[in-house]
Amino acid sequence: MHITPVYIVCSPRPLVGKTLVARQLSEFLLLKNGTVAAFDINLKEPSLLDYLPQTTETAEVNNTFGKMALMDRVIVNDGVSKVIDLGFHAFDEFFLMSEEIGFMKEAARRGVAPIILFLADSDRLSTAGYAVLERHIPPTALVVIENEYVVRGELVESMAHGRVLRIAALPTFLKTYIDRLTFSFTGYLRGEQDSSTELHQWIRRNYISFRELEMSLTLQRS
Amino acid sequence: MAKPVVIVVGADKGGVGKTTVSRTLLDYFNANSVPTRAFDTESPRGTLKRFHPDITEIVDMTTTSDQMKIFDTLNAASPSVTVIDVRAGLLSPSLASLRDIGFLDAAKSGQITFAVFHILGPSIASLDEIAETANFMQGAKYFLVKNFINNTSFFEWDQATYNSYFHRIKDATELTIPKLNEMAYEQVEVASVPFLKFVANKGRDEEAANYSFVLRGYVRHWLSNVWTEFDRIKLTDLVGSGKMGARMGEK
Repeated sequence: MHITPVYIVCSPRPLVGKTLVARQLSEFLLLKNGTVAAFDINLKEPSLLDYLPQTTETAEVNNTFGKMALMDRVIVNDGVSKVIDLGFHAFDEFFLMSEEIGFMKEAARRGVAPIILFLADSDRLSTAGYAVLERHIPPTALVVIENEYVVRGELVESMAHGRVLRIAALPTFLKTYIDRLTFSFTGYLRGEQDSSTELHQWIRRNYISFRELEMSLTLQRS
Repeated sequence: MAKPVVIVVGADKGGVGKTTVSRTLLDYFNANSVPTRAFDTESPRGTLKRFHPDITEIVDMTTTSDQMKIFDTLNAASPSVTVIDVRAGLLSPSLASLRDIGFLDAAKSGQITFAVFHILGPSIASLDEIAETANFMQGAKYFLVKNFINNTSFFEWDQATYNSYFHRIKDATELTIPKLNEMAYEQVEVASVPFLKFVANKGRDEEAANYSFVLRGYVRHWLSNVWTEFDRIKLTDLVGSGKMGARMGEK
């Protein structure tokens, strides 16, 4: 049976790089599979919808109707990878709801593989949020994203035990460059002839990390 | 042979969730493999019957013939548990009728196990019913059910009022029914199936249905909490049935 990954990019903190990861992951999946369905649950942060309007739709989890619209699609094993850009304000509600409706169990039953990509930070809110996830999410489905641009120095010890995916910091001028709404990671890889540029290598490194993540998913299932 | 068990679910006020609690009881007994039958006193059109048509009969408890239908068949009927969903306003008159026909005496002498689930609403009037109902409760198991259909606090913030009602009756057991998500509740209403079937994504005739995964999850979570309360009061012990491993609905 084929599996459908559902990547949930999250943090209880704003401005830690959730949308950046969701954006890049969505572009990678689009490149690899030719299709992706992204969901933007951000009202107060830079929005995935602005970057990838063709593949992204808005979703909400602060009312039952919104939860149904999102989760009833996400739980379907249709072979289309899903990416959820979960805004910090929706973190608690989303995982509370997931726990109540038995999302992880039902997903396993249906061949849907949720992967929680948790953007690490060293503050108390992040530590507490991660502890909640650790209690409810199997270790194989929980990945810490160490965004070097945000995490200056060592990862908090509790987050360093499990699987960690590292994203290197970009110089500020390149960060500004990729933050432009018209910028496409895949477009850059295709358009830039010089593969030795820092940005080229940075994007490739991240794409390789995503590919490894996908492969580990396949191996876990087999 | 196990004693017949009669469970009356009622309140003197409408809209407090009598039928909802009756439905959870029927699902609970079904999941615990306890044979059950039900009577719906919302004559002529019963809500309970809509959800559990196979085991529910609509009766008018004020008529002698229907009283005979329920109580004269207690020993003959094979199901060990009889659940009666009493229409709003009829709890006290029904209990009075039961006293008059000698049913309460039979319960007192231990021939029958009799339990009353008194569903409370969020009003002083609803609490006043407790005292009225308590007069009939000798020999019966009396459960005061706080049904959180809204965000009521049942006067817990006013300890004097709370104590004057909830601690007035000796041996009354309090039971809490948590609130179910409104949309989930409505979806089950529309589906007109038992909660268990809704959770299992099945239609009336066991056919595959297409209910929302989210709403099914909410119902499953809620039903599990309700059943935890039933486990707490040892409802299966009351009906003389031990718990048999994993319940159907929890598999």
